[in-house]
Amino acid sequence: MIPDDAVERLMDSAQSIGQECNRAGIQQWEIFASQGYGHSLDIEAGKISMASGGGEGGFGIRIVEDGRYGYAHLVDPTSAGRAIQQAISIARKSPSIEGFELPGNQSASKVSGMKDKAILDMGPEDLLKQGDQVLTRVAELDSRAVAVGGGIGVGAGAGAIVTSSGIEDGGIYTSHGIGIHVSIDEDDHLTSSYEGESSRGLLKELTACVDKAVHWSQVTREKIPGGKTEDCPVLMTSDGFSPLFSVVVPSAIKGERLARGESFWSSKMNEIVMADHLSLVDDGLMEGGLSSGSRDDEGVPSRTQTIVSSGRLTGELWSTRDAAKLVAEGKVESAQTTGSAARGGHTSPPMCGCSDLILSSSAKTFSRNKLIEEMDEGYIIHSVMGAHTANPTSGDFSVTTSTILRVEGGEVIGALSQAGFSGNIAKALAGRVILGDSSKRKGSYSTGSMHVPDVLMLDGLRINPA
Amino acid sequence: MVVATRHTDSLFSSGRLLDEDKITKALNNATDLGAEYAEIRLVSETTNTASLKDGKLERAIPGQEVGVTMRILADGAWGVHSTSDIASIVDQVESTLRLAKAVAARRSPSQHAVGLAEVPIIEDEIHWRSIKDVRDTDLDTRIEMMLAIDNEAKDDEKIVSTSTGWSDEHIHTELMTSEGMNRVWSFQRSLINGMVTAREGGDVVSYRMRHGGEGGLELIESCDLGEMGRNAKISALRLLSAERAPSGKMPLVADRDLTGVYIHEALGHPCEADLVAAGDSCLEGRLGQTIGSEICTVVDDPTMRGGYGCYPIDDEGVDTRPKNLIVNGVLTEYLNHRETAHRYDLDPNGGARAQDGLHHPLVRMSNTVIQGGTHQDLDELIEDIDFGVYACGSRGGQVDTGRGSFQFAAQEAWIIENGSLSRPVKDVSVSGMTLEILKNVDGLTRDAYLGSPGFCGKGQTVPVGDGGPLMRIREALVG
Repeated sequence: MIPDDAVERLMDSAQSIGQECNRAGIQQWEIFASQGYGHSLDIEAGKISMASGGGEGGFGIRIVEDGRYGYAHLVDPTSAGRAIQQAISIARKSPSIEGFELPGNQSASKVSGMKDKAILDMGPEDLLKQGDQVLTRVAELDSRAVAVGGGIGVGAGAGAIVTSSGIEDGGIYTSHGIGIHVSIDEDDHLTSSYEGESSRGLLKELTACVDKAVHWSQVTREKIPGGKTEDCPVLMTSDGFSPLFSVVVPSAIKGERLARGESFWSSKMNEIVMADHLSLVDDGLMEGGLSSGSRDDEGVPSRTQTIVSSGRLTGELWSTRDAAKLVAEGKVESAQTTGSAARGGHTSPPMCGCSDLILSSSAKTFSRNKLIEEMDEGYIIHSVMGAHTANPTSGDFSVTTSTILRVEGGEVIGALSQAGFSGNIAKALAGRVILGDSSKRKGSYSTGSMHVPDVLMLDGLRINPA
Repeated sequence: MVVATRHTDSLFSSGRLLDEDKITKALNNATDLGAEYAEIRLVSETTNTASLKDGKLERAIPGQEVGVTMRILADGAWGVHSTSDIASIVDQVESTLRLAKAVAARRSPSQHAVGLAEVPIIEDEIHWRSIKDVRDTDLDTRIEMMLAIDNEAKDDEKIVSTSTGWSDEHIHTELMTSEGMNRVWSFQRSLINGMVTAREGGDVVSYRMRHGGEGGLELIESCDLGEMGRNAKISALRLLSAERAPSGKMPLVADRDLTGVYIHEALGHPCEADLVAAGDSCLEGRLGQTIGSEICTVVDDPTMRGGYGCYPIDDEGVDTRPKNLIVNGVLTEYLNHRETAHRYDLDPNGGARAQDGLHHPLVRMSNTVIQGGTHQDLDELIEDIDFGVYACGSRGGQVDTGRGSFQFAAQEAWIIENGSLSRPVKDVSVSGMTLEILKNVDGLTRDAYLGSPGFCGKGQTVPVGDGGPLMRIREALVG
């Protein structure tokens, strides 16, 4: 799928652009290069509708002179001269940040599980067979169920970073992902569920999310009348909770936002901000982590950092520039990079973001059935519409769900057709919370990957049945 | 098959990036090998983004990106190859054809084979010129414009931070097909935005604003940026003291931005014929049926110059035109690309859009607007509401097209009591079912125009415009 010498080619091109920066007399420069290859297929109306393949990539050039920085990106390295001049002219108009320099070279530990040879060896026909397997599984589980949308993809990428301070690093990473949207449309009553899964290695249970999609399409068919609007306990499955969590929490733990008063946790360092058994860890070194690696996206060695320990806010995330800037502005006394620079590819300069973010509990965790028993009365929510409309500044959200089950006496009694769901994520996590006992990587609206279990929140949430 | 040739506007023609001879040979090769249709589409984007944080330049990023996608239709199925290595595309014909045939081999007899509706085969160039070309705008000008917002937005001790952003792009597209289509087009977009964060004690809120559309610097210059900044500041300060919104079913009045988001999510997406064909639209089989109040007429119009969702030619080379989705409450048209037009035996209406040169076209909206009604103004819309909500400014929305349920969120809102606006509330979201709530629209003001520019995600992200008049919904689920 990927040329054997992909990293070497990128490194050569990056070094060549770096030499051009040297010739232009630039004090500090960083060349980020990426090249991705992949195969994918689309599923539509119960069949494979399209198969595709291809590759893309490019280069990002960051230069720093006297604390001023400029950036430009390009596809064709032969046009680097123009991009370098653009970056220089931008740097000259940028504010000088005292103490801002590109990171120096430090040794970094290797993170395993970043690539899987089985993926590198996959061809389009292998992927199509997986598509067959998925569609067969849908039909096996429920003859009424149709995979109305979704797809499967495998990808392999090469990345490299070369800097004037001596960082020269590169590597190969792979990914395998599936998304499946199943619906059951019978008796003028349609229920559906979208499920997804992804991994650096070949997915071991490719059809697990098919099973889940069919299950949720089935269990939400037993409709009961919507009750009254009420503040009540809500058990969010990890799939439902992760998107909401990803809009609100990663943003709140950035050092810059905390320092500027833009986070609901601003001025709360070393204070209790979550239930005292909850912890939040940003792990940049997770084996096989989709947002992990030996270095962050500006070449700083990755690390594992505790953000919230036993409910107490103890850490924050910084990139090199943000740290220097906020110190220079006097917003914080001291700050330094936490190896938390991330970017969306070569078109973006490094910005602060989380890696593999893990929510865990030191208290006893429970199976989903046990959580339902503990809740006694309330609702289970498996997906929400509008998670991206949550307010990352305040933590407030007001979303809609059509995948909601009513629980009474510790048992599921039926599904609502639709309900509003609102509250404040920060306040809910600071209240009475019980976590489920399994945590897998889930979908995210932010940079980084969320690892959250099922979450039973007992306080401050409102359900507004349609 | 109709063949039409138009003359090129040579004064504004852009240099071709595709080697026409090589591409023609590759396309011919595809058909010689058994393809029913083949196309190669290249998109080159010259982009500039910039942002200020608290009035200081945070980042400025010029970029030049290019991508090319080949689609081959064989045995009624698609194979696709995309790459940023333009020269290599001609070498991918055989492998892409094999992909298409492998997909086709899996189709059961009961499943539809892909076919394409016939369209005029055109060779031409269309270049929408901006009055002030974005490629001539310098960074100082961009900074000056952003500062015009920033300076007016931060003038209060409760405002803890401001951020402003800029984005402009020149988009150049070349499309060649095995049918002989050979079209080149270009246009530009510009956007400016800002966000104000206010804090009082432990309460922190933010308010966002955005202005832009199809065009160059003249679009940004035409906006009173200072007023935009002042209004954002006032709204953020007001949100600090706003109560949590009430929950329940009640009358709702939406401003232009929210009316636009509502019509985009609740109606526009279910009208996308690729979703209809996938069995994922609540509007399947409802063409010609009354699905909304008779005061509702909705148009999706990529030719509405200045709108953020404008484009001169769709990404299958089809000329654009306005699409009347609903006329007086009756569903009259789906948004189509060539494949869905063929499937439903409808006229292609230029609804194919791809995010960039590395993506294949999907059926997408452009500028979606509900037409004006008969109410004079907001006062007249709310005068007979005892208790309800007036919601303004969009925080985005989402739809489940199959179920026909949708949600959208407002930036700020007011309680309506006894026919007047009373107190501000925050965190208002509205949800409902497309087929119910369209019938509940019972009031529209006369003046309809586009609201703030937006972005629409459907696996691929494309710029869109949407809007309308102020709209009253008799009963909506709020909170």
